[in-house]
Amino acid sequence: MIELEMQILSDRREGLLVELGRLVVANGFTLLRQRLSQDSKGTWLVMIVRGPAERQLVLEEALATHNRVLSFEAALAERDALPAPSSPVARLLAAEAIAPAAGPDVRQVESTLPQLAHDYPKIYPWLITLEHAVAADAREASLQLAGRRTGAWVYKRDYAMGAKLGLADAIKRIAMPALRELATVDWRDGQLHIQNSPLCSPGGDSGCRFFSGYLEGVLGGSVAPQTVFARSLYCRSTGAVNCILEISH
Amino acid sequence: MPAHQSYNLLLVILSYAISVLGSFTALQLAVVIPLAQTSGQRTAAILAAGAAMGVGAIWAMHFIAMLACDMGMPVTYDLSFTALSAVLAFGACSLGLAIASSGTFSWSKLVAAGICMGLGVTGMHYLGMAAVMMGAFISYDMSLVMASMAIAIVASIVALWLAFNLRGPLQMTGSALVMGVAVCGMHYTGMAAVNMDDNGGQLPANYASGLRGDNLGLSIFAVVLVLLAMVLMLNYLRQRRRAMISI
Repeated sequence: MIELEMQILSDRREGLLVELGRLVVANGFTLLRQRLSQDSKGTWLVMIVRGPAERQLVLEEALATHNRVLSFEAALAERDALPAPSSPVARLLAAEAIAPAAGPDVRQVESTLPQLAHDYPKIYPWLITLEHAVAADAREASLQLAGRRTGAWVYKRDYAMGAKLGLADAIKRIAMPALRELATVDWRDGQLHIQNSPLCSPGGDSGCRFFSGYLEGVLGGSVAPQTVFARSLYCRSTGAVNCILEISH
Repeated sequence: MPAHQSYNLLLVILSYAISVLGSFTALQLAVVIPLAQTSGQRTAAILAAGAAMGVGAIWAMHFIAMLACDMGMPVTYDLSFTALSAVLAFGACSLGLAIASSGTFSWSKLVAAGICMGLGVTGMHYLGMAAVMMGAFISYDMSLVMASMAIAIVASIVALWLAFNLRGPLQMTGSALVMGVAVCGMHYTGMAAVNMDDNGGQLPANYASGLRGDNLGLSIFAVVLVLLAMVLMLNYLRQRRRAMISI
C-alpha cells in the first residue's frame, strides 16, 4: 500500500471533492485527509489517499484527465507509520521501487510534460529525449502516458466547447485537426495513417504508442461514453510505409 | 420590396450586424452548456444564451429593421405586444438551445432545436408586427409568410449544426454569420409579405401611448451595450481559463 499526496486545481469548488472522491474510491483508494482552499487561480484541493501501488498510475491518469481538473500534481506522501526516507534521492529510489517494472516512468513523463506544453506542437525533440531518458521496458508505456496527457490537455484547451460527438464525428472534427498540428495524417477505411512519423524511424523503435495515447486523450473527453482505445496496426519502424492506427470504443 | 416600403440601407446593414453580434454572443454561451457540471449551471447558461439570442439577435434586429423601414406614415408600437414578442423569442431560443446542447449530438435533436429557434424567430417577427399601430390595415401574402418561416428554420438548423458539431474558427464565426442570415432573411421576407390597405386614416385608440422610434432606439442601444459587454467578458474568461489549463 502507498500513500499519495495530490494537488489539484479546478475552476470551481462546488461538488469538486465529491466528484474526485468518488474517482479515488472507484480506483481502490481510501481518502485519508483533504483540504480545500481558494486563491486567484481557482480552487485548490489537496488529498492524501492510500491504496494499492499497482493502481497508482490508473488513479493519477483518471484524475489528471478529469474534466474538472485544470492542473494536477501527485507525489508519494510520507506515512506516519513508516520511517520517512532520509533524503530526496532515497525517496526517489523508494518511489522507483514501488513502480511496476513494465509501467511508465511517471517521474520522467511528469518532468517532460511542461516542456511539451510550452513548445507544443514542436514537441518531437522532447519526446525523443523522453524515449532515451527512460528504461527500455518503460519506453512504450511512458510514451503512451505522455501522449494521453498531451491529448487530454489539447482537448481541454482547444476542443472542449460544443456538443459531445459520436466517435466517427469526434475523429473527423477533433482528432484529425488536432493531430494535423503534429504530423501528416489522413483517415482512410476506418484507419488513421501517419506519414513519416519522426518518432518511428525505419529500423528504430516504434513511437506509435505516443499517438495511441494522444488519440485516447483527445477523444476521451469528446465522446460519450468516454472509453476510447487506439492501437497500432502497422509501424514505419518495422518496415511499413505508414504508421496505421485503429480507434475503437 | 412592396411599393409602400422604403429602407434606409445603413440601418439595414446595422440590423444584420446586430443579429450577427447577438448570435455570436448567444452561440458562444451555448457551446459551453454541455460542460456544465450542475443543473443550476446548465439552466443559467441556457437562459443567458437564450436571452442573447432572443433579445439580442432577434428582437433588437427586428426593431432596428423596423426603424430602417419607411412605411410612408407615422408608426408606434403597442408596448405589451412588443414586450411579449421579446419573451416569445427568449423562450423559444432557450428551449431550442437546451435541446441542441443535451447529451450526444444527433440529427433529430438538431432538427427539433432548429424548429424551435426558427419558430421563435418567426413568432417574434409576426408578434412584433402585430404591435405596429398606424393608419392602415396590414395583411399578408401567405406564401411569403411560409417562405419566411422556412428560411428561419433551415438557417437555424445550419447555424446550430455549425455551433455544436464543428470546432475552430468556423464554429466561432460561421455559426453567427449563418444565424444572422436566418434572422434577417426571415425578417425581410416577412416584410415583403406585408400588404397595407387604406383604412381612411383611422388610428388605433392607443396609438398615442405606443412606443415611438426614439424609445425603441434607446432600448436597442442598451441591448447592444449588454451584448458587447458579454462578448468582451466571455473572451476574457476564455483566455484566462485557457491559460490556466495545465498539462
